[in-house]
Amino acid sequence: MKRYVIKRVLSALLTLLLITFLLFLLVRIMPGNPFPSERMTAEAIEKKRAEMGLNDPILVQFFHYMSKVLKGDFGKGTSLYYGAPIHTVLKKCLSNSFKIGGIAILLGTFVGLLLGIVAALNRDRFWDVFCSVFSILGVCVPAYVFLIFLQYTFSYKLTLLPYFFDSTDFLRSTIIPSVSMSLFTMSTVARFTRNEMVEVSDSDYVLLAEAKGMYGAKLITRHVLRNALIPVVTVLAPLVVDLLTGALVVEKIYGIQGIGKLMVDAISGEGIDYNYVLALGILYSAMYIGIMLVVDLLYGLLDPRIRISAKGGDNG
Amino acid sequence: MKKFAAVLLAVAMVFSLCSISASAAGKYAGIMLGTNVMSLDTNLATDGDSFEVIADCIDGLTQMDADGAAVPALAESWDISDDGMTWTFHLRDAKWSNGDPVTANDFAFAWKLAMTANVEYGYMFDSSVGCVKNADAILYDGADPDTLGVTAADDKTLVVELEAPVSFFASLMYFPTFYPLNEAFYSSLDEGTYGTSPYTFLSNGAYLLEDYTPGAASFTLVKNPDYWDAGRVNIEGLKYQVVGSSDNALTAFRSGTLDLVSVSGSQVPAAQADEKLASNIKVTGAGYMWYLSFSQTEANANGGQLANANLRLAITNAIDRESLVENYVMDGSIPTFTCVPPQFAASATTGEDFSADQTRFADVCSYDVEKAQAYLAAAKTELGADEFTFTMIYGNNEGDEVSKVAQAIKEEVEANLPGVTLNLQAMSKAERLDKMQNDNYDVALTRWGPDYADPMTYLGMWITDNANNYGFWSNADYDQLIKDCTTGAYVTDYDARWAALYEAETLVMNDAVIAPLYTKSQANLIADRFSGIEFHPVALNRVYKNATLG
Repeated sequence: MKRYVIKRVLSALLTLLLITFLLFLLVRIMPGNPFPSERMTAEAIEKKRAEMGLNDPILVQFFHYMSKVLKGDFGKGTSLYYGAPIHTVLKKCLSNSFKIGGIAILLGTFVGLLLGIVAALNRDRFWDVFCSVFSILGVCVPAYVFLIFLQYTFSYKLTLLPYFFDSTDFLRSTIIPSVSMSLFTMSTVARFTRNEMVEVSDSDYVLLAEAKGMYGAKLITRHVLRNALIPVVTVLAPLVVDLLTGALVVEKIYGIQGIGKLMVDAISGEGIDYNYVLALGILYSAMYIGIMLVVDLLYGLLDPRIRISAKGGDNG
Repeated sequence: MKKFAAVLLAVAMVFSLCSISASAAGKYAGIMLGTNVMSLDTNLATDGDSFEVIADCIDGLTQMDADGAAVPALAESWDISDDGMTWTFHLRDAKWSNGDPVTANDFAFAWKLAMTANVEYGYMFDSSVGCVKNADAILYDGADPDTLGVTAADDKTLVVELEAPVSFFASLMYFPTFYPLNEAFYSSLDEGTYGTSPYTFLSNGAYLLEDYTPGAASFTLVKNPDYWDAGRVNIEGLKYQVVGSSDNALTAFRSGTLDLVSVSGSQVPAAQADEKLASNIKVTGAGYMWYLSFSQTEANANGGQLANANLRLAITNAIDRESLVENYVMDGSIPTFTCVPPQFAASATTGEDFSADQTRFADVCSYDVEKAQAYLAAAKTELGADEFTFTMIYGNNEGDEVSKVAQAIKEEVEANLPGVTLNLQAMSKAERLDKMQNDNYDVALTRWGPDYADPMTYLGMWITDNANNYGFWSNADYDQLIKDCTTGAYVTDYDARWAALYEAETLVMNDAVIAPLYTKSQANLIADRFSGIEFHPVALNRVYKNATLG
């Protein structure tokens, strides 16, 4: 197991390093000037380029960049929020995205599970059909469309909730973005839970448990739900990262100072901000790789066959 | 029963929470910003939105009155020496928000700091604009910033020495680059943290920063009780909200969340037709002039065909500016036929707008297809070619209407000038600028906004080797005229200078160095309760010091 863990961690770090280098390269070869200024002289722009080390060979630039990043210093924006160190801006944005994303995950998972269970227990009846329709809608319609619908209904028409996110009114401001962001998770979890539960219910061991006289809530929680949840957790992992990293358009429309909005700002301003795009790219990649690593390690714990194959054993 | 009571209680709590929203707008004015504030550091800010918020919080030596004229702010009065080369500002009693008095040294410190950093607006001090003594030597030849011609004679007296008299120097003083900084406070902060939170920012102006972080999608300013002119400030606070889409802004305005929003031209007809909104529309001059820039170097595509003045004149006269404004921009923008746009620079002696007469250059800049074709025929003879193909670049992130305008120009040029093909290429503004700065383009749809209320803010661009002379046009007579107007013979004779500026403009127009198109307006929606906002095309676009909230 130890060897398996080390191997997985090393490969995750290597992947992150490769992605970072690729991102670094892509950002450097983009057309345009990192300092989109109409008033700076060519000499001043050149001076700025030199200060940022943009005239050095790409590998030297990457080495300098990484040595700073490892100390937690992502530099400063080239065309966005001049002067402020990126890590201070990121901190604030991460905090907002995590809070709202966290609520969306909890809401999505809880309601999704509930809906999936109810649908599975009422197979081919109203709740099952409702769950199917809801899941299709939730998966097909983007979160920002729900957001606009909720914003229009509850903020504009009914004036019950704030029209834009307001950090001084956090609780009420969170309702519209969290609910709209949670719908995809809710639908996915409901669909998976329902299907897995139906499959597990038809399995031999559930039949045996029933034959032994087990029924009702006990049967559902001990045998059906427990086994049905394993694949659900796997699906949930990337969804968690999606929600934590902020829904790009949702944050932009609702005016949330999160990392999703930051990403949109970094690529849609007068010019693409080299350092913000890089910092956010690394952050997103690190979160995905991190969560995948956790899932891999959990698999290893749950399924010994994976550990064995990692040791180079016979795969059959 | 207990369960029922609990549910009832929960429902009641939710509704009580919701009911708070009705008073959300309240005593603060809700104001839309189109983009994020980029920096609250006067040396780093470069955009209008940042300047607006800085000016809400910090006063300069002067401020703008409703008509844009410079009136006393932190300087109670000033004396100008007989030769116009020394300005002595007498400061009033005013306080920073940490309780420190505002002193003359705060200005001297800030100005010298602007000389050391890579300040985009540093050029405002140099001989092309402010003519502050030694600014050129410091900015371009590495002289010591301490030699800048600004001295704190005592706490209340600031002496500024110039290299040449500048008639509009008082109006430069309301531009944020000339604002003061509290040296002790600024020096006590970690590098890069000034202006990044209410704790790392000091106000001396009408409002205090209540909550702000870089990238904030919304933030609030509250009235400064210690402001020297607090009695004049009526509104308790300003709540800024960054809204990227004008559709979203319009709905937010209808909901009462925002009291002032900017809308795009395409929304204006619908707003005008809506009786609830029609009275709230106010079109203001934003000052930006959109124009076509032609690369005129030999190295340019097609062997530098656009170096031919007749070809440029043909294109200039083939475009129907009235149609562009009415059918595509649609926000009250003004068709423009002069390279100094109207409504921002008025004569100090007569008060007349420098570009009031838009027919001054009708011979070389108007919509006249016959004339355009005559110019084209001359160009064809001179160049020995019958067909011309150019690419026009434009920004796809510079406003909703820009791509429509580009398309319309293409159609008009191709329809009115047989043999000319104008291809379009959209890109980010950064890429457009990069291509223009490196002469890697044929024609560009670009814009320029005035930094100060003098024609020189435009005419200064076309001198040889200026960074904004994207056509790389060069004319020795023109360079001499501009020099005479900034540091030479005309600086002491206002009327002669004004006449020389017209002469310079004539050279640019006769040569079709650029093709002026339209001067952009901004369509705003202003809530009935919000009045007295001062809109300006120069420096600070919106000022709220005299505004009221009913």
